[in-house]
Amino acid sequence: MDFDTNNTMPKREAITFSATGSEYFRIWIVNLLLSIVTLGIYSAWAKVRRNRYFYSSTHLAGSSFEYHGNAVAILKGRIAAVVLIGGYNIALRVSPIVGLLMFVLLAAILPWLVWKSLQFKLYNTSYRGIRFGFGGSAKEAYKYFLWLPILNTFTLGLMTPFLHQRLKRFQHTQSRFGTSQFSFDATVGSFYKTYLLFFALLLGGLLVLIFVVFGSVFASFAAHANDATKVGSLMFAIGALYLWAFTVLPLFLTMIQNLIWNHTRLQQHQFQSQLTWGRTTFIMLTNLLGVVVTLGLFAPFAHVRWLKYRLEATSMLVHGSLDEFVAATGQQVSATGEGMADLLDFDLSM
Amino acid sequence: MNANTQESHAPLAGRYFDGHSSRLYHVTLSVRDGVAMLAGDIERSCPLGELHVSERSSHAVRKVSFPDGAYLEIADQAAFNNVLHDTGHRDGWVVRLQQSWRGALLATVATVLALWLSYQYLLPLVAKGLAYAIPQSVERQLGQGVLDFLDGHVFEASKLAGTRQQALRNQFARLATPGDSTLEHRIVFRKSKIGPNAFALPSGDIVLTDEMVELMPDDDAIMGVLAHELGHLQQRHLTRRIIQTSAVGAGAALLFGDVSTVVATVPPLLLDLKYSRDVERDADDYAIAMLRQNGIALEHLAQVFVALGKLDQGTPYLSSHPASTERIARIRAAQR
Repeated sequence: MDFDTNNTMPKREAITFSATGSEYFRIWIVNLLLSIVTLGIYSAWAKVRRNRYFYSSTHLAGSSFEYHGNAVAILKGRIAAVVLIGGYNIALRVSPIVGLLMFVLLAAILPWLVWKSLQFKLYNTSYRGIRFGFGGSAKEAYKYFLWLPILNTFTLGLMTPFLHQRLKRFQHTQSRFGTSQFSFDATVGSFYKTYLLFFALLLGGLLVLIFVVFGSVFASFAAHANDATKVGSLMFAIGALYLWAFTVLPLFLTMIQNLIWNHTRLQQHQFQSQLTWGRTTFIMLTNLLGVVVTLGLFAPFAHVRWLKYRLEATSMLVHGSLDEFVAATGQQVSATGEGMADLLDFDLSM
Repeated sequence: MNANTQESHAPLAGRYFDGHSSRLYHVTLSVRDGVAMLAGDIERSCPLGELHVSERSSHAVRKVSFPDGAYLEIADQAAFNNVLHDTGHRDGWVVRLQQSWRGALLATVATVLALWLSYQYLLPLVAKGLAYAIPQSVERQLGQGVLDFLDGHVFEASKLAGTRQQALRNQFARLATPGDSTLEHRIVFRKSKIGPNAFALPSGDIVLTDEMVELMPDDDAIMGVLAHELGHLQQRHLTRRIIQTSAVGAGAALLFGDVSTVVATVPPLLLDLKYSRDVERDADDYAIAMLRQNGIALEHLAQVFVALGKLDQGTPYLSSHPASTERIARIRAAQR
């Protein structure tokens, strides 16, 4: 075995995703039906089925991932979420004061729940028989999911890129694979640069739209054109706005995802993300169109398409061998592990 | 478990991981006498009963897990399926349903049917039950503040003489109501910037605009309007509607939320229109019953919609209220 990892050329291992839209459609529709007839209770088991399918369809260097999430823990998390969100909405309607109290309560426990949810997600993911994990303390979770966001509102959102960097840094440096820590080295400056570029483009496009498209709307109103022309030009202008929003948003997603993953490592192994703006936009727009036209039946195909593109644009530059990771001690003793028993998943997505 | 037929299978190639390190072991799997045996980089055997096999699928790798966390990945799906079949392994019914197109088609039809049935029958029923179960005091609080808000933005004090207001209130109070109990309610008059209007708030306030009073041909028609609004209150329509729209909204967000929040907001909006038309018909029926009980000709109620119908400039494409002509026809049909 070659232990001199610094002198060998890195080997590029791309992630491949073998799930197909048609197979996921069948899983999705059966899950949906069972979730509906059980009034949502089955949705926890549905999530386990879906994740198991997606995780075992994701391959890196010939091995696939595995999901170990427990449906009962997910169900508990969901019940907690529904009670909290429902309670908040009802409280807000009953009286503003009760609503405010409920809001404070939510703010007080939400960071803890998000933290537990991150732990749940990583702890229940494995690759080559070794589980991932998430450390971090509750104190840090409150700092990044509560105090900094509150502080940010007082700066009119100017701190958002900084906050985003700190959040990702927290997430990526506290994650581990077995006993190996991930690391993250994207700077706050690079986050500000990405956000600024995005806003400059967004604003530039909006200015062009206002002058060119809305100019014609004003012209049709000023010329006292008939109602059909007025409505037509207004619809066209609103359509153009939406189209621009749906073109620029993927740009941001592309840039930020590439930035984050290109600065993440697992020990000496470097991640790479090569999403492109054009392809991301094309997939998002056609997915949206497909879902609308098929009244939702295209949703599972859309999901797989998007996931496949995102995953397969990611690769790992392996320095040396992937054979040397070691499972964290304590995890070997039992599959549930002490202290992991109280985990619950707060994620509400189907 | 059938233990005699396994000898015929050739050993299957697999990738084994021991659960302690990420090291890859190339092994072969064979099954004999109810025991799985691994050979190659590592040798190991385990009774079939202690192994766990992941669910069947045509595109994901299948895994065999050992009780201690070690596991085996097998690439040759077809050959592995044969081995599983011969050892008596059977997929669960959900997996079988997911793997067959007929099952998926059946599930699609059943899902659409279930969604439609719950929207059409189950949800209104549950919302009704809930609305009646909510204590009056809580419901009152739902509507509290709405009138204050409207007073601040849309309404001015009524220009109607106080004596006229009181006369209308007294006339309505003298009418008998259908059913055994009548909700506490208060009739308030306002001058509005939005023209003729009448509505009931869950707080028990029935708001009547000056413009509405002027539009009505006679006082019995005004009684018809008030009876209609009392019907809304009595049947807890607003509370029911709040429950229904929240449920539809939550459902749509779960169904479409992954793809786009823009798409997810459209179905609740469209679906709410049907409920609100149903609710208007229910309130009309209540008004019909009430007028009839007090010996007022239903034609007065019909005249309300004749007057309102004249206001409509062109029919709106998607309307929250049934067309006036349709409602007039219903009321006149009840007259006979």
